[in-house]
Amino acid sequence: MSDAAALPATDAAEPHWQRLHPATLALSIVQLGPRTLNFVPALAAIGIAGKWAYVAPALLLFLLVSLVFAWLHWLRFRFAVGVDEIVIESGVLSRQHRTIPFDRIQDVGIEQGLVARALGIAKVGLETGAGSGKENDATLDAIGLDAAEALRATIRAHRSIPVAVAASDAPAPAEDRLLFAMGPRRLLIAGLFNFSLAALAIVGAAMQFFDGLLPFDFNVFNPVDWIDLAERYGLDSWLLAHRWVAGLGAAISLLFIGFASGIATMAFANWNFRLMREPRALRRTRGLTTRTDVAVPVKRVQAAILVTGCLRQRFGWHELRLQSLATDGEKEKDHQIVPFGTLDDIDPVLAEVAIERPAPGGPWSHSHRIIALGGLVGAACAAIGGSLAVFFGQPIGWIAVVAAGLIAAFALIGTRFHQWTDTGDMVAIRSGFWKPRTTLLPHASVQSIDLKTDFILRPLGLATLVFGVPGGSALGAHEIPAIPLGTAKDLRARILGAGART
Amino acid sequence: MTDTPAAPTDPFAPDALNAREGLDPVDPAFVHVLRVTTALTLLPLAVAATLVDILVMPRIGGPFGLLSVAAWLIAITMIVSFPARRVTRWGFKIGEGQLRVARGWLFRTDTIVPFVRVQHIDVGQGPVERLFGLSHLVVHTSGTHNSMVTLPGLHADLAAAMRETIRRHIQTDFA
Repeated sequence: MSDAAALPATDAAEPHWQRLHPATLALSIVQLGPRTLNFVPALAAIGIAGKWAYVAPALLLFLLVSLVFAWLHWLRFRFAVGVDEIVIESGVLSRQHRTIPFDRIQDVGIEQGLVARALGIAKVGLETGAGSGKENDATLDAIGLDAAEALRATIRAHRSIPVAVAASDAPAPAEDRLLFAMGPRRLLIAGLFNFSLAALAIVGAAMQFFDGLLPFDFNVFNPVDWIDLAERYGLDSWLLAHRWVAGLGAAISLLFIGFASGIATMAFANWNFRLMREPRALRRTRGLTTRTDVAVPVKRVQAAILVTGCLRQRFGWHELRLQSLATDGEKEKDHQIVPFGTLDDIDPVLAEVAIERPAPGGPWSHSHRIIALGGLVGAACAAIGGSLAVFFGQPIGWIAVVAAGLIAAFALIGTRFHQWTDTGDMVAIRSGFWKPRTTLLPHASVQSIDLKTDFILRPLGLATLVFGVPGGSALGAHEIPAIPLGTAKDLRARILGAGART
Repeated sequence: MTDTPAAPTDPFAPDALNAREGLDPVDPAFVHVLRVTTALTLLPLAVAATLVDILVMPRIGGPFGLLSVAAWLIAITMIVSFPARRVTRWGFKIGEGQLRVARGWLFRTDTIVPFVRVQHIDVGQGPVERLFGLSHLVVHTSGTHNSMVTLPGLHADLAAAMRETIRRHIQTDFA
């Protein structure tokens, strides 16, 4: 450290600092126009207050202050392009000094608006693959177009060397292969497991909404309607003796709608599902009405997630999702690669992305039972609230009490399904009872590790590990909750050790 | 890279936390930064509470004075005593190819970022920090969780030195 402390002094003298293009100031004046709109309410307020004389000075003052700020901003923004990095300094009151190595720049975007084009300047966006969000972006807004193109060329020239090596040493498979496909039969089975009453809510709401508009006055969810129907055919006397028939009718229609909607959504989404292995990517095409075609570069796959269901697990059906660095601004964060398949279907796909499922009989460690605490506290709150409601004469409170019991039961059962194992180059994390899911996380994908303790875990000698993995997952952050502190530290050292070697 | 020269050793007990975990403490001047920023957020609130007390309470017949006393007591406690404790909860360690940042006590988070995983580095300085000659270091990773790891309360020179250290690692180990 002591030798490093001397460095910035020598380095700081070196770089050739550049400012943004002066025309940027002109651009900021143009941008002032729309921004003045924000000021209109204030102006109106002044005007309504009867002080019209102040409107023009206020507007002028606002413009002046904005211009001064734009100018200060421009003055305090400077950047230097070094041999292998770009340094950006910015900020008027709070200063920021950002260093971006060329090695880390994934893409250089050059953007020109209408006015910018007239002025011959361009906005340069440097994409580093750092997590999403404005704070992570680095932009030069704006520099001369030729300077922007020169900068891009510099960065590309720097990058092209390692990329070329990487491309040549990875012999790509010669032709495309079909890895997985779903026929109508598989879709039908998948749809049956996709039983969903979500559509029911929609249909039910629609029935309520269109109640008076429907040509027939019949609501399948309303047992009274079933009785009415029976009456019409003179069955009412029989029905009065056998009310269960009405209930049965409603139940059957519920089931039918649940299954039908499950099959329909599955068929619409996954019709003619095909997963191809292409030289560098896995390519997925699917869909009945809107056919989508997504390529997931194999090298960019960060983690695999196996999702199944309480029931479908019994029949050996699973779903495979791959988490990859988000590309092309896609909507879905992780990619459903096998929507519904057996483990025999999934294993070859996993092999393509160099991830192996841990052996079923392997040693799995459990998380501590304390993780049920959150659910139990919630259940206790619900129970107390419900009891109070019942106490004050609101019978609806019983629902909360029953729900509390269910929540507590789920929390307690769920804890038993939190497991993890480390296979040497990959961590596998299992969780969930109703929707069991297994996350297969190669050590090499881990970017950072949080070791978290809090006032509940610490006395128990426990810690939670949270992994920073590129490319978000719809299923949340990857973590191993509540494991012994020593084990957690061990695991952390092992995983980061692997990361440092690659 | 074994020890930071700028890191002073505090003989008092609170630092035992950092010492036990093998972490270096942040600059003691960070207390003042925390104090000023806390004051900047809390004092207006306290003043607002007092105003409410004076203007509203008599009209609705509430207990006069209670709100302002409570607000000022809380604000002063938070400004005077809390920052010193919060500072001792921050710790960092730079070395062995990784940056380690620990923070908090009630909910403690201990983050490790290997240098090879760093995408880019910020060294920032707010107006209050500048007053006390401090900077903060922000390390960006490509993970969605922890995409930014912030380490405040560093002496400006130390922050720059740490940036250089990390930067050199990024160039040597292309991951």
